[in-house]
Amino acid sequence: MTLTRREILGAGGGLAAALSLPSLAVWGGEMVEIKMQGRDDGSHVWFDPIGILIKPGQTIRWSNLNPGNSHTTTAYNPTNFERPLRMPKAAKSWDSDYLLPNESFSVTFTEQGVYDYYCIPHEHAGMVGRIIVGEPEAHGWAEMIGANGDLPEEALKAFPTVEDIMTKRVVRRA
Amino acid sequence: MKKLVLAVALTMGSSLCAMAADEVIKAPPAAPYEQVSKLVKLPDFLPGMGQLFVDPTTLPAGPFLAYDHDGKLVSTIYMLPIKDLNPDKRFDDLASPGGNVDHVDVYYNAGHPGVEEPHVHVVLWHVSAADEARVAK
Repeated sequence: MTLTRREILGAGGGLAAALSLPSLAVWGGEMVEIKMQGRDDGSHVWFDPIGILIKPGQTIRWSNLNPGNSHTTTAYNPTNFERPLRMPKAAKSWDSDYLLPNESFSVTFTEQGVYDYYCIPHEHAGMVGRIIVGEPEAHGWAEMIGANGDLPEEALKAFPTVEDIMTKRVVRRA
Repeated sequence: MKKLVLAVALTMGSSLCAMAADEVIKAPPAAPYEQVSKLVKLPDFLPGMGQLFVDPTTLPAGPFLAYDHDGKLVSTIYMLPIKDLNPDKRFDDLASPGGNVDHVDVYYNAGHPGVEEPHVHVVLWHVSAADEARVAK
């Protein structure tokens, strides 16, 4: 379901390392970009966009465009540090590990539903994001007891609503 | 006699400070300081701060020693988690080996590998405000 890769951006755009890369295919159309950004003094960090609607089979690429910081894109999933499940149960989890400036990481999404993810060093600062693939699944994780788990208040406050993403397709931070 | 003892003590004290500053004024500082980018996954040179070194046993507060592109010490930085700034926690006797301080900056940081929570940077600049440009990029 999920194919991941890690790249170095810039001249040549060469593939620096490959993670679980049996083959690379984009079934559903164009690559979607999410930027990892931050102020120069590190006082504020964010994913741009913070919420996005894509079609099943589309690939999202996260790129660290923050010259003074490292970021991760890490799914809320028990396989990642026993975090609560906030993505479709049948979908495969992901964790980019730390991306240095100009590095990127890609995931292809095939399972319909709502996916929440965070940046490991910046979750407490509210650096989280939400992806909706197709339509929100019926009786998904959002209805499960404990879905908020140990998430910090700053992270919970930062997620755009499902309704907002379904309406606007792309949601940027306020 | 008391004045003489005081004078000797002050002289010895200032000599010790000078010795400490001499040991860290050029990168790399002697052990136990280690290069931050070799301890955690961060760029080696951080725009606005420089190349950082820290004694890992002092994390998260530091001091972190910051150097410019020529390996000259520009600042000493303390990183104080916001959650630890409360009535039950103190940061006492933090080392300050960098010598003379020209001015001080204090600002919020959302976190980074090594100090993965919102914290405050307290920056003791050993260079003038104009010379902060040496680590701007």
